Amino acid sequence: MQDVRAYVGPPGGRGVVEDARVLSGYTISATIWLLFSTAVGLLVSFKYSYPDLLTSPLLSFGRLRAIHTTGTFFGWASIALVGCAMYVAARSGGVTIRRPKLAWLALWSFNAAALIGILALDLGMSNGSQEYREWIWPATLLFLFAVVVSGWVVVDTVAARVGHDIYIANWYTIGGFIFTTILGIVAILPFYQRGVGQVAVQAFYMHNAVGMWFTFLALGATYYALPKLLNRPIYSYALGVLGFWTNLVFYPVIGAHHYEFSPLPWWFQTLAIVFSVGMLVPVWAGSGNFALTLRGRWSSVRRSYALPFLVVGIAYYFLGSTQGTIEAFRSLQAIWHLTNFTVGHSHATMYGFITFIAWGAIYALVPRATEKEPPRLWVGVHFWLAFVGVTVYVAVLSVAGTEQGLTWANGDPFIASVEAAAPYWLARAVSGTMMFLSHCVFAYNVYAMTIAPHRVAAPGAAGAPA
Amino acid sequence: MTRRGMNDVRVLVVAAAVIYGLLAIAMGVIPGRVLSATPPGPGVVPLSEAAARGRDVYVGEGCSYCHTQQVRPLAQDHVWGRPSARGDYAYSTPQLLGSERTGPDLTTIGARQPSAVWHLIHLYQPRSLIHASIMPAYPWLFTAKDRADTGDTVVAVPGGYAPAGKVIVASQSALDLVAYLQSLKQSPIGAQAMR
Repeated sequence: MQDVRAYVGPPGGRGVVEDARVLSGYTISATIWLLFSTAVGLLVSFKYSYPDLLTSPLLSFGRLRAIHTTGTFFGWASIALVGCAMYVAARSGGVTIRRPKLAWLALWSFNAAALIGILALDLGMSNGSQEYREWIWPATLLFLFAVVVSGWVVVDTVAARVGHDIYIANWYTIGGFIFTTILGIVAILPFYQRGVGQVAVQAFYMHNAVGMWFTFLALGATYYALPKLLNRPIYSYALGVLGFWTNLVFYPVIGAHHYEFSPLPWWFQTLAIVFSVGMLVPVWAGSGNFALTLRGRWSSVRRSYALPFLVVGIAYYFLGSTQGTIEAFRSLQAIWHLTNFTVGHSHATMYGFITFIAWGAIYALVPRATEKEPPRLWVGVHFWLAFVGVTVYVAVLSVAGTEQGLTWANGDPFIASVEAAAPYWLARAVSGTMMFLSHCVFAYNVYAMTIAPHRVAAPGAAGAPA
Repeated sequence: MTRRGMNDVRVLVVAAAVIYGLLAIAMGVIPGRVLSATPPGPGVVPLSEAAARGRDVYVGEGCSYCHTQQVRPLAQDHVWGRPSARGDYAYSTPQLLGSERTGPDLTTIGARQPSAVWHLIHLYQPRSLIHASIMPAYPWLFTAKDRADTGDTVVAVPGGYAPAGKVIVASQSALDLVAYLQSLKQSPIGAQAMR
């Protein structure tokens, strides 16, 4: 709480209170989407083991599958990280959030977009089962509007900063808003998306939606929260800048590695594989930079409740992204492509990396904004349930995918791949249950940090954040 | 205070937008445009009206989350047909190549399993035909009646998998979906034309 006073005068000033309300509003909205979307994911995971569980059109696998992915991407992770980006823009610049009315407009638009897109999906209205752009176009357009409006708030807030330099965290978040605006326009225009042409656009879109939006927002949040919690500067500003530019230039080329052995031109796929190797530069620059910032401060990690989330997020950023490079090689895609291995990879990155960073940032920023601490015991329960849950999840699906791919390569009848994966699917449902329970605990912690009438934590348990 | 170079937020915004905009055109728009102009392969024809409606059902129910429609030039994919060619997809928008093969590839399902009777029973309850299948059942594409009317397509669901004393009748959506599945075949082409 010291930092808030240092920058913007006495606590309780109007702007500071409004900033806390904006951050709380985004965090609460995101948490509701997390609970909803992962409850859906949990039901879907049990349908693998019990396919006749809750057979009805509104609860069918094919419709809920897209609701789980788009709900977690655009409801949970987007709203959570956009809220953090606005708050980081203000705090790092020593000002309050500019145009808070637009911040609220963007939040309502994000929520309305998610509601429309998900309701339509449940009624069987899909934009063609295209991964991460299943929402009907009015919902997509509304989401894009929210990205532009919230990006405007962040840019305006950064422009109003007190100091000279734009802090590296804001490079990343501003980049994320700009790239996603362009990406959204490219994805929604239909003129160049027929047949296999749409496959090419989909390859570009689906990977960029992950790497030019969530990665940039999450790295931005980490570049602010990590040094703040450790109370020491980031190890290298230059590594951060290197990561920014190399991610920007390499990432847009790698999408076609999701369509290896497809009818897309062979050289186009090869180009994507080559640049996937290039991605090691920004990934290792970023994760190495964070690791060197953490060096020698493990005692701080043990004492903090927010830092462990960031440490896991950074570790999964390194592991999941490096795994992405390795699995792009043709020799490995021949076995792993189209199997559950990919689902394990996407949870290592979107959950182990993005979601853990979002949690770390929320636990770092929200108590400072609202001056309300979450109960430490429950933060610990949240951490361990989620960490063990996702690690088991990724492990069992990686094995399941390998088994599926090997039965195919072996020339077994197709049903053998279903029977080989079945025990791992049950294990996935169990680990998914742990993850979902952790979200319930997280929701309680968010309540304690935001709308709870008073400090929920016992006086003895509440220490200073960090 | 004057802020120069990348510390001017306008420069950061414009630089990021220009660089990414060019990359988006190079890696998204141009490949999309060039490949969208792919002519239909030999023997590739548009879907019938019923099959086109059935394709919409396929999309709305999210079938492609578990069923791919792409045969790879790999030995393990020979069972599904010849490797897919770009011209095979000339009439396939939205594209349904898929990213996961939890169930079998459907590129040639119309040739591998041409029977409408089989498809209707399978859609009503997959486990009545394949015990280990985890495919969802789609009973809402059917109605359970006391007796069939003239013109009804009655589905002979194996005993124990349908309500006792009822007849199961396929809806128009189920018939359309089966028409689409039956239309999924590959036209034979020479190896020269494939890439």
